Amino acid sequence: MEGNLLHTAEVVHWAALAFMGVVYTIRLIWLLKFKAGGDKQLPGDQGRTDLGPAMYSMANVVMPWAMESTRKGMFFYLTFALFHLGVTVGIFLAIFSSLLPTFFADQNVAYAIMAILGLAGLVGFGRILRRLVRPVMRLISTPDDYFSVTILTVWMFIGVACQAHLAGLVNNTNYLIAYLFATSFFLVYVPFSKISHYLYYPFIRYYIGKTLGHRGSVLPQKG
Amino acid sequence: MTKKDVSWKVQKMMELLPPKLSRQVVLSLVSCVHCGMCNEACHYVKSIPDDPKMTPSYKADQLRKIFKANHDWTGRVAPKWVGAKTPITEEDLEELKDIAFGTCTNCRRCTYNCPMGVDTATVNRVMRGLLTRVGVMPEGVWAVSKDSWEIGNQMGVLMEDYQETLEWISEELVDELGDEKAAIPIDKKNANIVYTVNPREVKYDPRTITNAAMIFYAAGEDWTMPSFGWDQTNFGLFSGDDVMGGNIYKHLEEKFKELSGNLLVISECGHGYRSTRCEGPNWSATPQDFRMESSVTTMLRYIKEGKIKVDKTKNTEKVTFHDSCNNARSCGLYEEPRELLELVTTDFQEMYPNRQENYCCTGGGGAMSMAEYTPRRLKSGKIKAEQLAATGAKIVVTSCHNCVDGLGDLIKHYKLDMEVKQLVDLVAEALVMEKPAEVPEEKPAEAATLAGYKILVVDDEPDMRTFLSTVFEDNGASVIEAADGEQALTLAKSEKPSLVTLDLSMPGKDGGEVYASIRQDPQLAKLPVCIVTGRPELRKLIYDRDVPRPEGYLDKPVSEKDILVNARKILDLSE
Repeated sequence: MEGNLLHTAEVVHWAALAFMGVVYTIRLIWLLKFKAGGDKQLPGDQGRTDLGPAMYSMANVVMPWAMESTRKGMFFYLTFALFHLGVTVGIFLAIFSSLLPTFFADQNVAYAIMAILGLAGLVGFGRILRRLVRPVMRLISTPDDYFSVTILTVWMFIGVACQAHLAGLVNNTNYLIAYLFATSFFLVYVPFSKISHYLYYPFIRYYIGKTLGHRGSVLPQKG
Repeated sequence: MTKKDVSWKVQKMMELLPPKLSRQVVLSLVSCVHCGMCNEACHYVKSIPDDPKMTPSYKADQLRKIFKANHDWTGRVAPKWVGAKTPITEEDLEELKDIAFGTCTNCRRCTYNCPMGVDTATVNRVMRGLLTRVGVMPEGVWAVSKDSWEIGNQMGVLMEDYQETLEWISEELVDELGDEKAAIPIDKKNANIVYTVNPREVKYDPRTITNAAMIFYAAGEDWTMPSFGWDQTNFGLFSGDDVMGGNIYKHLEEKFKELSGNLLVISECGHGYRSTRCEGPNWSATPQDFRMESSVTTMLRYIKEGKIKVDKTKNTEKVTFHDSCNNARSCGLYEEPRELLELVTTDFQEMYPNRQENYCCTGGGGAMSMAEYTPRRLKSGKIKAEQLAATGAKIVVTSCHNCVDGLGDLIKHYKLDMEVKQLVDLVAEALVMEKPAEVPEEKPAEAATLAGYKILVVDDEPDMRTFLSTVFEDNGASVIEAADGEQALTLAKSEKPSLVTLDLSMPGKDGGEVYASIRQDPQLAKLPVCIVTGRPELRKLIYDRDVPRPEGYLDKPVSEKDILVNARKILDLSE
């Protein structure tokens, strides 16, 4: 019975991944149908027309010193990094759990993954509280904002249990099944939610970097 | 909800939205994750922390909701889930107007602090543009836009007044420098530089034109000012109206080409520089095929090339520099003004934060023309006032006219011991003339013609108050200012002025009511009043009332000479 359910979960999980790929492809086609605005003015005195400013802008995510908001909110930035690392590790776990069983059975790997997912889940929990408690966050939050961070948080905690099972720390296949089904739901939901922001990140960063770089206003902060 | 229930203005807005949806705008609309990081970047939030509606993402969400409801499948399928919503009534549009115009100066500080790169300022400008196109905008924006369309400049300066001002400046310069060549050339063909200005300079602050002309003269520059297409400012930037933006830019471009100039120089004005140098070609969809630069760059080049000589010891007071949002964050003019300041002053103190992280002066985004939002604007300037005070400087320098007014207001409101200057003023002060000009002897008697008199200046326009106050103070009077009718009456009773200059069109109690109250109050009935109005059609506010006529009446724009002659006449002072 568990074997059949596990098999179904794996099939559904791959199907969900394929579905997400199709929806994302459609989404990108939709996005590219909007005509990109171009600069008709000559570059500014300090402006650049090469790819440098766009690349600098895209690398923003790993340069917390580049923005005042991350420079002054370093703890928030670190929790952001941890949360996104958790998401990456969680996806890696979901995709490769059936392909690389010996890798996930390794105790050291297991503890590392469990630590990352667990801490990322705690960050997620903190983010839910922050959204619920701070008036400004309540004002700008949609139901999707609450739901997205909640399902990711729950998914990460299930991932901890799933990894413990794969490493033989607990013996319950249901954790793996639950994780695969949770991942499937997550993959199907993602293209319709704000979680899709990572798809847009390179595009929006490219354009803002290019535009402001052309004018010469993207600069490392001085003074 | 049927289409019939939706206001026609909303329906029109929905029709106007698609052409504004460039890929960049769409990306800013779909990429926000509502993380709240922009919150701390906004000067409104910093200064008014108890109002969550000040947060930039909330402001951008107003257009985001509309976009999702009409153009994004997630909003069509589950609107409430993703916060999609289309406005319905004209009251909804009024609310959007207050958010788009009254709670954001489009300074772009949040853009630089968004991890995703969401350009909230651009999103807000798109919203302003939609509202403007259906006639929902602050009255000041409407008036300025109307003047831009009808007269060709945003302050409604008539061609005769413009030319008269330039002639008057020319005469003074020729007298002062003792050289006919110091006159301002108008419409000179094939000149190396065509110089454009902000109408505020013509109307309220002609000293900046005088100073620029003196610098051009000292540099031996072959330059000219155009008789039309001289207004480099462009309310299309603030109203979000790209059609108007493109048209106004075309005035400059066409005149520049007609004059066959070599380089278009834009005087110190953030809004003008951005509109002309960085946005105009895009709004008008014409690739830029001629050179333009800020006068800051020009002045810096003159010094570096030895065309003008400066003596920095003439500017020894401690100065700090305020980055105009439009010059800096939107056009990359960060280092040139600093380099110039180092050359013409001895004590330059950087303010913190600076450059792309500097705070808005509160006067950007057309805020100075939206009197209804002034109390909130002044409140939002708390962080800027603290930043200024922390420098200990006596002079804050900026390269923008909106910043001059915005900072001037903050200095007054927060009682800071400093004044605002522009680089052109400091360069002119530091200028060493190769052929020393014969400086005319001071005429103390004339300079103090109003000495001993106290004058109450009542006007809701900060520019106008500053202009009138400067004229009176330069002539020895002490001045008190009121921005609205209530304040005017209170000050008239408590300060007992010798004369009141009274604007007619003001929010709240208008000038007509104030005038009637003065005349009906036994304590104030004899107080001389000079009406100074930009709307002659409002004469009836005075003349339809059963009260004695005012002692003086002037139509805006008023010249320094007119206002002085009237004031002296009313106060019964001999010439």
